[in-house]
Amino acid sequence: MTQAIEAAGAEARERGEPDWLATRREDAARAYASLPAPTPALRPWRYTDLTGLDFASFAPAHVPLQVTGTLAAGGYAGSLAAAGDREVVRTHLGSLLPPTEGKFLAANAAQWRDGVLVHLPRGAAAAAPIVVTLDASALAQAAIYPRLLIVAEERSEATIVLRLTSGDAPLVVIGAIEVIGGPASRVRLLIDDGWGGATSDFTWVRARLERDADLQVAALAIGGALFKQTVEVELAGEGATSAIRAVALGDGTQHFDFVTLQDHVAPRTTSVVEVKAALAGAARSVYYGITRVAAEAIGADADQANYNLLLSGSAKADSDPVLEILTANIVRCGHHATVGPVDQEALFYLESRGLDRRTALQLLVAGFFHSVVGELPLPGLAEQLDDRVAAKLATAAL
Amino acid sequence: MSDAILDVRGLEVSVTAHPEIKIVRGVDLVVRPGEIHALMGPNGSGKSTLASAIAGSPAYRVDGGQVFFKGEDITAWRPDQRARAGMFLSFQYPTAIPGVTMVNLLRAALKARRGADVPAREFLAEMRATLEQLKMDESFARRYVNDGFSGGEKKRAEILQLGMMRPELAILDETDSGLDVDALRTVAEGVNALRRPEMGILIITHYQRILDYIRPDVVHVLVGGRIVRSGGPELAQQIERNGYDPILQELGLTREPAKAGA
Repeated sequence: MTQAIEAAGAEARERGEPDWLATRREDAARAYASLPAPTPALRPWRYTDLTGLDFASFAPAHVPLQVTGTLAAGGYAGSLAAAGDREVVRTHLGSLLPPTEGKFLAANAAQWRDGVLVHLPRGAAAAAPIVVTLDASALAQAAIYPRLLIVAEERSEATIVLRLTSGDAPLVVIGAIEVIGGPASRVRLLIDDGWGGATSDFTWVRARLERDADLQVAALAIGGALFKQTVEVELAGEGATSAIRAVALGDGTQHFDFVTLQDHVAPRTTSVVEVKAALAGAARSVYYGITRVAAEAIGADADQANYNLLLSGSAKADSDPVLEILTANIVRCGHHATVGPVDQEALFYLESRGLDRRTALQLLVAGFFHSVVGELPLPGLAEQLDDRVAAKLATAAL
Repeated sequence: MSDAILDVRGLEVSVTAHPEIKIVRGVDLVVRPGEIHALMGPNGSGKSTLASAIAGSPAYRVDGGQVFFKGEDITAWRPDQRARAGMFLSFQYPTAIPGVTMVNLLRAALKARRGADVPAREFLAEMRATLEQLKMDESFARRYVNDGFSGGEKKRAEILQLGMMRPELAILDETDSGLDVDALRTVAEGVNALRRPEMGILIITHYQRILDYIRPDVVHVLVGGRIVRSGGPELAQQIERNGYDPILQELGLTREPAKAGA
């Protein structure tokens, strides 16, 4: 991977990318070379062991991202590479996730090829969800670097669905998603992971929300071998609100590692975090999240929850919620965490209705996950999720 | 007794987590098709434990005796096997299951009971008919199971399930508790509307008032984990007038202290 990254700038110029972008790739490649690999000695890497992954053996590959959905005049939903000469890209790409921050982000900034830009101009509302599809199922062993830039200008509104699939070949995914939430914008982002069993996904989502902006991020983590997702929201403008929701359904030796940051910078900002895992087999889930309330963020309202259902005796979950509150003038700042088996009374209730144990657990887990759908305007999503839960638990080690 | 639906013989039950707590101490009980049996008794006498044990609750352990259902010894069966065979327990305290709608529960339960998927249209028609029979609004079915239900709604939801499952034995565990007179009448009328000649009913109750609406053929009095008296409907009326004390005194029994949850 190292050599390929060093060549990133030259290759970009050959492809005809603008000079500023090629230069940034070179900077990113240099950052990659000089930055240390993540160490398990420190959070947020304490819970995920990378020693089994030989990154050098994953050559960069590219998968075109398909985008469906139309926008009003002046809007854009399509290839990020093809939008390289747009001012909005130059201004915002890498502004929230700078390559100097860590080795993985540096690799993505140097290597991304197939990215997507969603640009919602002032007041634009996308009538239907914008669906971005990444299908890596044809790839042999490789690394891919998806990149998504969402720029929502004042009072714009969109629902964006990211559908990710891969095959059985070992795949490393290093993803970067930036969301620029302008004043009073409303963005809903669903990250729907249908990874194959040998995919390791390391994705960062970072958002900056201005006054009264609202962001909902929901992640469905059902496939994959290793899933480490970091979602960070800076509530930078007064009245901004965010919701981060995720569900993970594990079996075998699947490993899920969720990191969230709700950074209340401005007054009267609201954040909700709800990460839920249901784990069969010897699956493992970790949640590490920080709610930070700055001294200026008076009237902040933050609620952080992590619930884990252990469906087998070998499954394991850890929860590590952190609060950093620098003002006494808050509405609420709570955190909740549970780790345990399913409610035995609920299980008996369903069994007493004739459902065998597995069927009862399928129903209980699907119900447990329902809140992730939240207010996403995606008809049929709840039913699809029920079906996927049922399908996976039909064979899971309970 | 080959025609019995339920035949309980010498049943002894303790708490799984605390086997030293013996609650049911040798109960014999036979329910035949079409019969309504009322099981009455003071608090802590073991009524709900007996109901839960017959339904196969893992919270209770059978230490002795047997339970026969339609002639088969089901003492070791799992609760779901019993339910599929045609046994239904209406819970005293129905469990809330957030995220699972009544419709999803009913569909899964019906599929399990019949051993095959019920086509959506057929299912909906049946559900609507049962809802109507119970004077319940269809919006009820879209709510999460017992989640945020009032006391009366919970009991009606149990009877709705009873109506859809069409069991051969319905055990109604304190279906009257927590209901005001109007709610009690609605629920009782629902049960009466769902009666079928092949179904036996076992009503567990502390008070006689539900029996004003659902007339029992046989009344049993459970005290200290044993049936101490059985008789006709007049036994329930006698208890309503005089309480349990005369029976206890007659038998030379002193009233035992109440056990939580029993």
